[in-house]
Amino acid sequence: MSDALLDVRDLVVRYGTVTAVDHVSFTVDAGETLALNGPSGCGKSSTVAAVLQLRRPEGGEVRFEGRELTTLAERELRPLRPRMQPVFQDPYGSLSPRHRIRDAVAEPLKVQGRWNPADGPARVAELLDRVGLDPAYGDRFPHELSGGQCQRAGIARALASEPRLLVLDEPVSALDPSIRAGVLNLLTDLQDELGLAYLFICHDRAVVRHFADRAIEMRAGRLVTA
Amino acid sequence: MKPVVRKSVSQAGLTRFVCLIAVLATVGLLPWLSGRDPALTVLRARSAEQEATPEALAAIREDLGLDAGPLSLLGDWASGLLRGDLGTSWVSGTDVLPSVVSGVQVSLGLMGAAFAVAVLLACALVAPVLVRGRGSTGAFAAMLAAVPEFLLATVALLVCGVWLGWLPTSGWAGPEYMVLPAIALGVPAGGLLGRLVADALPAVLDERWVELWRGAGVSRARVSAAALRRVLPPLVPQFGMAAVGLTGGAVAVETVFAVPGIGRTALGAAKSQDLPLLQGSVLALLALGLVAGALAALGRRRLLGPALRDAGLTLPAAHPVRAHPAVPLILAVVLMVTIGWGLLRDPYTVDTTARLLPPSWAHPLGTDGLGRDVLARLGHGAASTVGTAAAVCAFSLLLSLALGFLPGVAAGAADIANALPPVIVGILVAAAAGPGTGGAALAVALISWPALSAHAAALVQEVRASMFLTAQRAIGASPLWILTRHVLPSVAAPVTRHAILRLPGIALALAALGFLGLGAQPPAPEWGLLLDESRAYVERAPWAALAPAVALALLAGLAVSGAAYAQGRTGGRRTGEAGRARITKEEASVEVAVRADV
Repeated sequence: MSDALLDVRDLVVRYGTVTAVDHVSFTVDAGETLALNGPSGCGKSSTVAAVLQLRRPEGGEVRFEGRELTTLAERELRPLRPRMQPVFQDPYGSLSPRHRIRDAVAEPLKVQGRWNPADGPARVAELLDRVGLDPAYGDRFPHELSGGQCQRAGIARALASEPRLLVLDEPVSALDPSIRAGVLNLLTDLQDELGLAYLFICHDRAVVRHFADRAIEMRAGRLVTA
Repeated sequence: MKPVVRKSVSQAGLTRFVCLIAVLATVGLLPWLSGRDPALTVLRARSAEQEATPEALAAIREDLGLDAGPLSLLGDWASGLLRGDLGTSWVSGTDVLPSVVSGVQVSLGLMGAAFAVAVLLACALVAPVLVRGRGSTGAFAAMLAAVPEFLLATVALLVCGVWLGWLPTSGWAGPEYMVLPAIALGVPAGGLLGRLVADALPAVLDERWVELWRGAGVSRARVSAAALRRVLPPLVPQFGMAAVGLTGGAVAVETVFAVPGIGRTALGAAKSQDLPLLQGSVLALLALGLVAGALAALGRRRLLGPALRDAGLTLPAAHPVRAHPAVPLILAVVLMVTIGWGLLRDPYTVDTTARLLPPSWAHPLGTDGLGRDVLARLGHGAASTVGTAAAVCAFSLLLSLALGFLPGVAAGAADIANALPPVIVGILVAAAAGPGTGGAALAVALISWPALSAHAAALVQEVRASMFLTAQRAIGASPLWILTRHVLPSVAAPVTRHAILRLPGIALALAALGFLGLGAQPPAPEWGLLLDESRAYVERAPWAALAPAVALALLAGLAVSGAAYAQGRTGGRRTGEAGRARITKEEASVEVAVRADV
């Protein structure tokens, strides 16, 4: 029993007869960045889905803030989900193409019952400002933003849930190299300000070295000693 | 993924089976469903002298098994069916089976001839594309595909039979009697097939292998043959649907040309409430449709071979005819002006001194056999037809949105609905509930949803698979929130647009039922009914028949050009291979839907 923020033990994910994640264990402490590194197809994204409980793992434990998630029913899980937010690789794919940025950022507040018309819009503007987006961009649709701006909007949306852990699934690998540094700096600043913990999925060692406190590496579904 | 696929396939198979049984049970239960007491009819038919005493009537009821209740009625019918006994006609008192067999023989001959016409026409439409290497058949084939059989039959009868006197127009006494019915039945099917192939060919001829083959000196004929073989597999199921359409079209064409085929037998039996004969002939028509569909499925499997099993195929992208927006716009304006003008006039006043007048200032489109104003009847007819069609559209929209979330159930039921032409469903509904606008609307509604629900299912699948829905779950959104805020809004808008596009096609289907006397009843001014009523006077007053015929042709043009225009727009906006393949399927379904409605 550790007091880590996220404690994953012997995680197993299978698709039919294929074992994508084979007894993977790691911990993420509060305010820390753990990089999960590895080539494509090694089971990183399956690990992310299982940690977020978007796909129930076939075995193992996922302990978050001291609570075991794998045994919880979907209904019991729902109030805990906001504390652990994903940021996906495809900046456009993670936002609904039909909703304005403002509405996408406000949606977590509405879903989680924290929205009120008086100060809601100001909260959304503050979130956009915090990720370095002009609040005027709130009127736009995702396809009217650049990839980097979209990824910032996605981060703003994740922050709206007031999480303690962000699961960053290759958040910059779809972006231009010139934009990457900006988004990575933003993430560093947010960690300093808000004390966020990051599980940072990546396959670029150079980025890992600059960004992460610790790194682990996966190959063919297993952890290899880093 | 595999187990999921298998599950939905078997679910589709199960629903298909259940729907088939439901249709068969409906046919078997017709005498009970219709709720009418046939004892007197049967008594009169069996012996004119016998007194209609309560005892005699009761004896007949017992003889027919009507008192025994629905289950035993169904059981008797089914066991008779298995022994090859279709029962005895209530009207003529003779066995049903021989009438059905002779009707099927005539109809098969007619359908064979019609199929030959269709293939010839399709070849004529495809040949220029193969020779030129690109381009499409354009609006001409689209119009041919959209004209309903009953309209074509009436016009062919009028022009070739009556005015020019070239060919016999009624009966079935020799090969020359086959020409006009076969053309009327075959041309719409040929237009559809030719257009589907011709639209798909240019994309295939643009593929890399064609260049390679030509560079290697392969003859033009062999390249053409290979290109055709590449185009055909995805279209074969639609050939099957066209064949099913032939069974529905046969009812109208056989009625117009007085051909003693199975379609006319079925319609006559429905009108005279001769339910055993109706059951037998509807069963025969259903069997024809199902066999055609099964043959098409088999043909597709043979053509594709192992590529189908390994999912190793890429669909050639279709280049649909991009209609100029002016075409549907002009058609719509012409129709609306005519309808608006007609609505201001009185459609019911009978003036026997003004019968069958030619067009004049007082009656811009002349008068009909009872001296009623044709323009007024056209306008009022459109209002009621379009109103009914809109209600049918709304119903299929709601049904398909619901079924979009149950793709397994929908696929099985859609297979059966696709195998039923609206005319046959119309006959069944009319036999059970009596002919009327409501029954016709129900009949069209029952089978007009598959294309919409296939579209809805594809969209639901696409939305559900998208990353942003996963992101919704991650913020703790409930399934209800995700459904109402994200899934439904992305599905409802495009499916609604699709439903509106199908409005003219549905109106044509309603008109076809009205024409056959299965829909609106006189003196209601319904377009199909107008055409039917004016047929009796075509020699003296051709304008009375021409007005609804032209209006229906305009409606058909509107159906096709509107659909083509909308497809052109959606096709242009999307990018990405998957999106293109899906749109292709969607377009094909719109196309077939327009056709199948008629």
